[in-house]
Amino acid sequence: MAQLILDELRRNFGTVKALDGVSFSVEDGEFFCLLGASSAGKTTTLRAIAGLEKLAGGSVTFNGQDMTHSPVQGRGMSMIFQTFALYPHMSIYANLAYPLIRDRVSRSDIRRRVNEVAELLRVTHTLKRKPSTLSGGEQQRVAIGRAIVRRPQLLLLDEPLTNLDAKLRNDMRAEFKRLHRELGMTMLYASPDQLEALTMGARIAMIDNGKIVETGTPQGMYGAPSHTFVASMLGSPVINLVKGRVNQSGSHHTLELPFGTLDLSGVSLRTELSSGDSLTLGIRPQDLHVDAAVEGSGSADLSISGRIHLTEPLGDVTILDIDVRGSLLKMVLPEEQAATYSLGQDIGLSFSLTDAHLFDADSGARMN
Amino acid sequence: MAKQREIGKAGWGHTAVAGIVGFIYFFPVFWIILTAFKTRTDALEIPPKLFFTPTLDNFRAVFFRSSITSDETAATNFILYFFNSIFIAGTAVLLAMLIGTLAAYAFSRHPLKGNDTYLFIILTTRMMPPIVVIIPIFLMFRLTGLAGSYWGILLLYTAFNIPFSIWLVKSFFDELNPEIEDAARMDGSTDWRVFFGICLPQIYAGLAATFVFGMILTWNEFLFALLLTGVETRTVPVAMARTLGGSVGVDYGLLAAIVTLFLIPICIVTFLLQNQLLRGVTFGTVKK
Repeated sequence: MAQLILDELRRNFGTVKALDGVSFSVEDGEFFCLLGASSAGKTTTLRAIAGLEKLAGGSVTFNGQDMTHSPVQGRGMSMIFQTFALYPHMSIYANLAYPLIRDRVSRSDIRRRVNEVAELLRVTHTLKRKPSTLSGGEQQRVAIGRAIVRRPQLLLLDEPLTNLDAKLRNDMRAEFKRLHRELGMTMLYASPDQLEALTMGARIAMIDNGKIVETGTPQGMYGAPSHTFVASMLGSPVINLVKGRVNQSGSHHTLELPFGTLDLSGVSLRTELSSGDSLTLGIRPQDLHVDAAVEGSGSADLSISGRIHLTEPLGDVTILDIDVRGSLLKMVLPEEQAATYSLGQDIGLSFSLTDAHLFDADSGARMN
Repeated sequence: MAKQREIGKAGWGHTAVAGIVGFIYFFPVFWIILTAFKTRTDALEIPPKLFFTPTLDNFRAVFFRSSITSDETAATNFILYFFNSIFIAGTAVLLAMLIGTLAAYAFSRHPLKGNDTYLFIILTTRMMPPIVVIIPIFLMFRLTGLAGSYWGILLLYTAFNIPFSIWLVKSFFDELNPEIEDAARMDGSTDWRVFFGICLPQIYAGLAATFVFGMILTWNEFLFALLLTGVETRTVPVAMARTLGGSVGVDYGLLAAIVTLFLIPICIVTFLLQNQLLRGVTFGTVKK
């Protein structure tokens, strides 16, 4: 059982708390994503698991064994570094063989396994060359090869796609999924890119300021984010967040937004609301719809009228920035539909209350 | 169609300018080498002679010379002096690099509290002019009996080269990507293996540059060698100075011959390490 359990990891760099009680667990064979902005603590978490960082507190349990104080060598883990970290003075063959030589694998086995891995990652033609003569994508694949050649029980990936161009990144995403399926090893993948996390992770842990904000499945976290931070990190374009004030008359609640009033009677909330409470409404750009007849529409819970401020055509779809009485809302329209509008034109919008995410404006915690 | 200039290839004009500057720099060396092949009269000729009948007498005289008192030629000790120069400079620089490289790695990878202060202190030993410290050192060497011995001068030159080695080699270690060492550790390497198998091979060029610079500095050192070497351990610069003067005036041809011979070993070292040297001095200045 290659199960990894992190409990309350702490690590300080001077006065900065790089890890401030990081806890999560990764199941055997799982593809787990650690999502967070740069310097949120992703790399430090991975390095702590590998034993490359001294912890100020907490424990790392792997395979049922407490590894908090074990040496780096012999943990049964491999890591793919952001900079690839190939040995520049060695040939690709020697790079791939290095972990096996250290493990005292016999020479014939080394040759067989290096060739296998080179084949799997399509770098056989580079075996005699030095890393600096390889393209970025090839270097990346060699780095993967060196990490998997010893068949680790846990593979740590530290932003492995950050140093690649956009096209390669797309290819490699699929490549990682393929490798995970073929090798069946437990993978912990750190990334600042929500797209990578959403497409690849079976589960995601979101980290911010050295703390885990939420752990869950991509669908769960996208569909019902527990926090404004999670909501704004997942999804592209970024979710629209608008602050409003609660108005209470009897048991009836409404939310006063800059562009209208939202009836909250159909929403089940986690806490009681009272007049004057501040809420943040989150609505994904994809959940905003064009409403031709803004006045007197039936199905939508709130209709808004605004003016098109900016358009970003992406080919198949276009992102529209719509100025609604001073606040900008983003929405996504199919290219053909967006083509019928021009800059500065008035547009009617609507959304349904079932698509609305409500958060406490102060704490950022989810309310519905 | 406009003619496009190839990047990386200078035109004739640039090459000519570079050639002239190069010639100005090289001219003194060229003149010394030329003088080494001149007879005493040719060497002192005014205006200086560019064309003359070359002679090897000066080179012969470096090793076999007739003294003023007798006509018999006797072997000078210059073979020993050349050996001393090569042995002392080579050994001291290698020793300093051995100690310096280990220290540099420690300073770079396991910084102490107040790391920079220690590095600064190490460098201060090289900040004052040698003439300031020569008297106390001379007295200490006399007292301990190190004066005139190989151990003494080796010790001094090693100490002399260590600060420079630490600083230079540390800068090379600092340039390395630490993730590569982490990767090696995760691949199962011990700290010693990381140092020898992963770090050192990456800075070979830097080590070569450090070696050549150290060699040049030590090879040419005169002041300490003058006071701290004895008859048996005398180095070429000291021996050269002692052939100056005398009752018959300065023998320029002889001196030029010694200098010419003196240039050869250091030229060989530099030439052998030339490729490494260029990579060494530009280490880290070019984005990888």
